[in-house]
Amino acid sequence: MKKKNNILKIEHLSVTYGPIKAVKKVNLEVSQGEYVSLIGANGAGKTSLLKAILGIEKAEEGNILFLGEDISRKATDKIVSLGLCLIPEGHIIFSSMTVLENLQLGAYHNPSGFEENLQRVFTYFPILKKRSSQIAGTLSGGEQQMLSMGRALMSKPKLILVDEPSLGLAPKTVTEIFDILGELNREGYSILLAEQNAKKALESSHRCYVMKTGEVAITGFSSELIDDPQIRQAYLGGS
Amino acid sequence: MEIFIAQLISGIALGSIYVLLVTGFNLMLLVAKIIQFAYPQIVVISMYTCWGVLQLTDNKFLVILAGITVSIILSILSEPIFRKITSTQGVDINASFIASMGMAMIIMDVMSHSINYGFPVAFPPEWIGGNLLSFGLITVSKGQLYALMGGIIAVLIFFYLLYRTNQGRFFRAIAENRYAACLVGIPIIKTSIFSYFIVGVLGGITAILFSMLIGSASPWLGEFVALKMLAVSIVAGLGNLKGGLFCGLILGILEAMAMGYISGSWSNAIAFVVMLVIVLIKPQGLFGSRI
Ligand SMILES: Nc1ncnc2c1ncn2[C@@H]1O[C@H](COP(=O)(O)OP(=O)(O)OP(=O)(O)O)[C@@H](O)[C@H]1O
Ligand SMILES: [Mg+2]
Repeated sequence: MKKKNNILKIEHLSVTYGPIKAVKKVNLEVSQGEYVSLIGANGAGKTSLLKAILGIEKAEEGNILFLGEDISRKATDKIVSLGLCLIPEGHIIFSSMTVLENLQLGAYHNPSGFEENLQRVFTYFPILKKRSSQIAGTLSGGEQQMLSMGRALMSKPKLILVDEPSLGLAPKTVTEIFDILGELNREGYSILLAEQNAKKALESSHRCYVMKTGEVAITGFSSELIDDPQIRQAYLGGS
Repeated sequence: MEIFIAQLISGIALGSIYVLLVTGFNLMLLVAKIIQFAYPQIVVISMYTCWGVLQLTDNKFLVILAGITVSIILSILSEPIFRKITSTQGVDINASFIASMGMAMIIMDVMSHSINYGFPVAFPPEWIGGNLLSFGLITVSKGQLYALMGGIIAVLIFFYLLYRTNQGRFFRAIAENRYAACLVGIPIIKTSIFSYFIVGVLGGITAILFSMLIGSASPWLGEFVALKMLAVSIVAGLGNLKGGLFCGLILGILEAMAMGYISGSWSNAIAFVVMLVIVLIKPQGLFGSRI
């Protein structure tokens, strides 16, 4: 077991939309260098949780400690500047701008390391180098997902939040994207991944939280959960 | 041929004024998410400021500085009002239109009650310059030439800033996808306030060039120009910066040609008929709406 050195610590976090309680008193931790996954059915509250961490949705109650600092009441731009980033659900890109301009925008809080980060992003995603002057909206779905990931990496984050990177992509691309996430983690990036594809998520991560209607129902090591009959029944298609 | 050249010069000069107006309007629409219908009124009051300062001094530098400062102040003063009524989801056309129309009315009333007894103001000859060329009834003044050159330079610089600098890219990022801009950590409110400042600068420059071009200002000039600004931006496609550049220039040239070859009093009617036809054929504007 790793030494307990939290990069992210969430305590009693709740998120509500009017009468809807999307996240209910969730506790969650990510250690330095750890790869943690978050699985759960549609509407379980995964996206709401990630958005709350980044300050996009307001935390109704609870604390979010990032590197020991409470960020739960901070504005998104401040949070990003501290070294957190979110790769959102459904490849959100600047579609009328070029691939390079998208990456430049990703470096908003880290302009000095631009060249170095750009080369690093290009080694992870060689396709982005080839397409760097292409208008981003004309990229394929998989390429757009890669651009969205590359743009997030341009800020040289300390913790990467990833929301359903496999959404709507062909199996081969999904594998490719998970390979890159694994590689990023081996290089030292801490990752918190929300994913519908429980099998992929459990195979790639160290630890996992299972969310059910806004609450953390089960948590444990991914290698153990993957053999848990209850989990197999509910999230891995029963087999 | 002489008529053509003279009208082309004044057409491009007028066109670049429209481009500057439409670009400022579009920037407000895209970044601050408001319909700034009072923008031309801010330009006119900054023309009045130039006129007023010209009564006191003939130091052109001071005049220009005063005009630009007033425009910046008015633009920034409107920000807190608009911030109250803008939604985070997109442009609240109704609320911001009403608010900016109110502002426009107030500015117009101030001008028509308390400046120069409500009469139009005429800029002194030192400001407009003498005639440079004249062909019979048609003349080109130095002021027109300054407006032409100044307008082209201002448009070029401004589009360079928008498309080739980081700050311009941040504006375009917010314009295109607010959520994505938020994710990369662009401070939305701060950048939006900065856009009011930039539009203020642009308005002041427009005022100076416009006063050189037409040599006068009146309380009702702003509303008249506002209609054209709105029409051009709709014809080009709301929020379409490049479309506004093209259509603003074309409108200026079209008006000047109508004035030279048909009759001055018909130039507005002709311009609006052309725009009406375009909007009927392409409701989203020639270049497509961006909001
Ligand atoms: N902006 C919103 N307004 C109102 N309700 C919302 C909003 N966003 C999410 N919800 C609700 O909050 C609950 C949790 O949604 P959330 O998107 O966090 O789930 P999720 O686990 O990410 O689901 P999925 O796997 O389908 O992406 C859902 O019931 C959803 O309808
Ligand atoms: Mg989701």
